[in-house]
Amino acid sequence: MEEDRRKDDEDNKLALQFMDSLHNYLSLTHSLSSTLRQGWLELASAKHSMGTSRVNTSVLDLKSHSASTTLKITENDDGTQPQFTLQKWVSSEHESTKLEDKNEHPQDSDTKSSATEATLTKNLTGLADNDEVRKERDKSLSVFGVLISPKLRATQLSFEKALETLIDIANMRSSVLNSFTQLHKEVEDTKE
Amino acid sequence: MYGFEALSFNIHGGYLEAIVRGHRSGLLTTADYNNLCQCETLDDIKMHLSATEYGPYLQNEPSPLHTTTIVEKCTLKLVDDYKHMLCQATEPLSTFLEYITYGHMIDNVVLIVTGTLHERDVQELLEKCHPLGMFDSIATLAVAQNMRELYRLVLVDTPLAPYFSECITSEDLDDMNIEIMRNTLYKAYLEDFYRFCQKLGGATAEIMSDLLAFEADRRAVNITINSIGTELTRDDRRKLYSNFGLFYPYGHEELAVCEDIDQVRAVMEKYPPYQSIFAKLSYGESQMLDKAFYEEEVKRHCLAFEQQFHYAVFFAYMRLREQEIRNLMWISECVAQNQKSRVHDSVVFIF
Repeated sequence: MEEDRRKDDEDNKLALQFMDSLHNYLSLTHSLSSTLRQGWLELASAKHSMGTSRVNTSVLDLKSHSASTTLKITENDDGTQPQFTLQKWVSSEHESTKLEDKNEHPQDSDTKSSATEATLTKNLTGLADNDEVRKERDKSLSVFGVLISPKLRATQLSFEKALETLIDIANMRSSVLNSFTQLHKEVEDTKE
Repeated sequence: MYGFEALSFNIHGGYLEAIVRGHRSGLLTTADYNNLCQCETLDDIKMHLSATEYGPYLQNEPSPLHTTTIVEKCTLKLVDDYKHMLCQATEPLSTFLEYITYGHMIDNVVLIVTGTLHERDVQELLEKCHPLGMFDSIATLAVAQNMRELYRLVLVDTPLAPYFSECITSEDLDDMNIEIMRNTLYKAYLEDFYRFCQKLGGATAEIMSDLLAFEADRRAVNITINSIGTELTRDDRRKLYSNFGLFYPYGHEELAVCEDIDQVRAVMEKYPPYQSIFAKLSYGESQMLDKAFYEEEVKRHCLAFEQQFHYAVFFAYMRLREQEIRNLMWISECVAQNQKSRVHDSVVFIF
């Protein structure tokens, strides 16, 4: 009887974890959609302000250069839940000091959504104040010129936020799939 | 002599002034913009524009349309109008009309040089150049490694040659040098245009002085705001401001040391013509500054048509048409992105 109750509790916990992850996943996709809309409009606004000859794809740099942002994928021991980490504004000069790692550690479902929001806010605020990060941002934007409109800088921040949200979505999806697998396994075990 | 243009202007300039006033009446009205702002798709925009002077330029474009296509075709209308006026003009109007295009020439030179630095294909860059700023040897810009070669190989035979005296160095071209080159050339061009208009005298000198001074002042503010937080030093920033305009010289000294938008506002509010611009903005806001400047510019260019027998109407028409094309670009982007609620953020009505 005690064992049955414990099993029920575990099943409920799994079900709640799955639903919680799914809710966060849907919230993040909605947030990504609105961030991208804002970013695209800001890009149009920058083009309107600076002129189409300054903001267009033909000025993008085709020379070989190191990526300013990289993605690291780590898997846990049984390979069931890959974790995605964004390493932002890491140029070749600053490889030894990673400026920001996002979403490195998996978190409990109870605090996941609020912690994710806090991480996003902290990352954006902390990054905005960092001189090195600002230099890296300016370097990325220098393809459009040095004296660029504040609208183009706002565009960069929007798309940066969208990239972070994408990584959060990937991690949340990984969590959803993992929760679903566990729940499905429990249901199958119960049937047996 | 000022005041006697009525006696002789029409001999050489009468036909073209009539032509440009006819073109002015073809600019889009508020009713046209209201219709355009209600469009659901870019094809709807094409349909509304078919009843305007842009109709013949867009009628053969296949669906689906892109916003860049609309802008390119509308620009062709401006280019055709300009070329017709240029081929009919005699001196000094023909030189005046050529001066109007030197800004585009500078933009094209910087585009080719920047694109080459980034290892882009020259043909791709030439397609993005503004048609009003094209010249014969423009493709040869791709071979230059520094400004001295740029001048010696290509630009010495172009109208931009005199503007290079202040920026010829043997330093290799990089993003900062190119930006300084762009702004130094534009500064020299504006000052040369200003001197030319002063030499013409009469109503042309009076009206063009006001329009070019506004252009110089707006440039100074934009350079200041865009250089905040960058590596451009105060001295370098000061050197990019033009040597005329309402801000020259004391306003420039104050703008050179500004570190944020509120300090720029404090400088501009000392000058009555610019108080109304910042009155529309809240503290710390710079997003709507462009629109405020464009509105003021449109107002001044419309006023240029209130007087006869001067060349400023040609300059004003070109600028108003460019503003119209910017409006169409913004409306197209808002419609394409399904963000029609933001259309009025940047549209500037001309009439």
